Amino acid sequence: MDIFLQQLVNGLTIGSMFALIALGYTMVYGVMKLINFAHGDLVAGSAFVGLFVFTQLLGGQVSVLVVVGVFILTIITIALLGFTIERLAYRPLRSAPRLSAVVSALGASMVIQNGIMLLWGPQMHIFPELLPTIIWDIGGVVVSLIQVLIMALSMILMVGLYLFVEKTKIGTAIRASAIDQDAARLMGINVNNIIVTIFLIGSSLGAVGGLFIGLYYRGITFNMGWQYGLYAFVAAIIGGIGNIPGAMLGGILLGLFNAFIAGYISSTWADAFTFILLIVILIVRPTGILGERVAEKV
Amino acid sequence: MMKKIQQLGYPLFFVVMALLPALLDSRWLAVATTFVIFTIVALSQDIVLGKAGMFNMGQALFFGLGAYTTAICNAVFGWPLLATLPLAIIIPAIFGVLLAGPIIHLRGDYLLVTTIGFNIVFVQALQNNLGGVTGGPNGIFGLEMLGIPGLAAYQQFTPYYVALAALILTLFILRNLESSKVGRALHYLREDDLAAGSVGINTRVYKIYSFALGAGIAGMAGTVYANQYSAVSPEAFDFLQSVLFFSIVIVGGSSVPGILLGVFVMFVLPEIFREFSTWRYFIFGFAMIFTMILRPRGLWPAKFGRIPKIFTEKG
Repeated sequence: MDIFLQQLVNGLTIGSMFALIALGYTMVYGVMKLINFAHGDLVAGSAFVGLFVFTQLLGGQVSVLVVVGVFILTIITIALLGFTIERLAYRPLRSAPRLSAVVSALGASMVIQNGIMLLWGPQMHIFPELLPTIIWDIGGVVVSLIQVLIMALSMILMVGLYLFVEKTKIGTAIRASAIDQDAARLMGINVNNIIVTIFLIGSSLGAVGGLFIGLYYRGITFNMGWQYGLYAFVAAIIGGIGNIPGAMLGGILLGLFNAFIAGYISSTWADAFTFILLIVILIVRPTGILGERVAEKV
Repeated sequence: MMKKIQQLGYPLFFVVMALLPALLDSRWLAVATTFVIFTIVALSQDIVLGKAGMFNMGQALFFGLGAYTTAICNAVFGWPLLATLPLAIIIPAIFGVLLAGPIIHLRGDYLLVTTIGFNIVFVQALQNNLGGVTGGPNGIFGLEMLGIPGLAAYQQFTPYYVALAALILTLFILRNLESSKVGRALHYLREDDLAAGSVGINTRVYKIYSFALGAGIAGMAGTVYANQYSAVSPEAFDFLQSVLFFSIVIVGGSSVPGILLGVFVMFVLPEIFREFSTWRYFIFGFAMIFTMILRPRGLWPAKFGRIPKIFTEKG
């Protein structure tokens, strides 16, 4: 039972991170029908930018103000980077065959990944300890402050995003663009601005995810974006890609699944089991758990 | 004009390829051999991705399955290398049918992520030494090398010419495929699979067929690859390798010359610029983006040749 509760806590923590990153994939996919392969590398980049901001810009001394500063500056940097990628690599390919945009996304991913390597080198870096190490032992289950913070902050961000998309005018425009870009344009929605908006939001959430990865796992490498990005992408697919609550559900489910596999079976098989889960879910529900069945257009 | 270039192009290409080893040192000979092998895999990927239009990002799985079949039969069971070839074609082809069967109805991107999934499961199974015969993370080494009797002095050239022979065989299969009933069916399938279904093409069968054919050819390339290095290891077949084959087909443009160009650009060029090791993939990423912006249909897009002109001309 102890293992169960412990892995539940760990699973919810990594699940929240997957969910945050998955939102970036799913929002971009929802409107543009494009798998943004560069998103995972933005997440990795965020951890490195956070490291740089903390040690070089803000002096390396932990205080509440500094931690908030690290988060804000990193989010702004990564959001701008996401914006730039959209401009350079995706916008010129709006009317091109879909696979060309996929390869362009792979190219963008390669640029960011190797850009990180050129700036910080190929070795592993240790992310600074921005939060005090406080650990609670609740009846044999170990919970740390970082875990609680990750879960709480992710939950707040996800609820906030959900309300933004469902209740505001811009959110309505995002949903309209996701259903039919041309019709949205006819209704007076500037679809280009909507795409810029989703890239800014998606990249910002990814940036928070990247900082969380740094805080939680500590060791960060230039090529970790593929690993976390792929997991988050799988989470988005499991939930039904393009569907925002789906990405959240998929992320949490995948995190829990992973933690239980690591706890009960073996972590060397974790990737394989994750993808077997994905394949089984897609065989049963071809468009993910919450994804709508789209009738093929003729 | 195009026809003339094509008629001259292939013989010229093969003459150049046949004479190439005389000009290369051992490092570049190895690059040239891998170039030929990757071309075969990319052509097999093109059957699924370019010809049948299914987003397959797991071709390295079938490539690896062929290589491992050869390696296990040779190193563990002591079969001669050439005798493993039929099995290295049949096993990936069977897996192609078994894996494609349940997922063939998935829409584009869902199929893409499932094929990535298969690839990752495969590599993890190899690394965890499934069944105790895959050698774990180190792989299997010390395989027998193919030798041609009486030409032992030219042993270093053998892998290259074996690869070239396999490439010629692949091109022959592709040429026949294109002018066959199956090739036409696949062409319609890519253009519009609903319409293809409505004119009586059994889309499911042909989709699975294309997977099996692509897998068989990739498996053959795997044998040739195992022969080149006389070793196999899991990381040579991980999903980033699949991403490479996928990009080759799209960058090159789903035609034979396009794929040759694609393999050259995506594999040989990075080898040439090896001295700029840290910068090359950074610049390479930009090159991929700009290639797609400037030539969205690839460097040398395919034209479907066998349709009478009156059907394809506009107006």
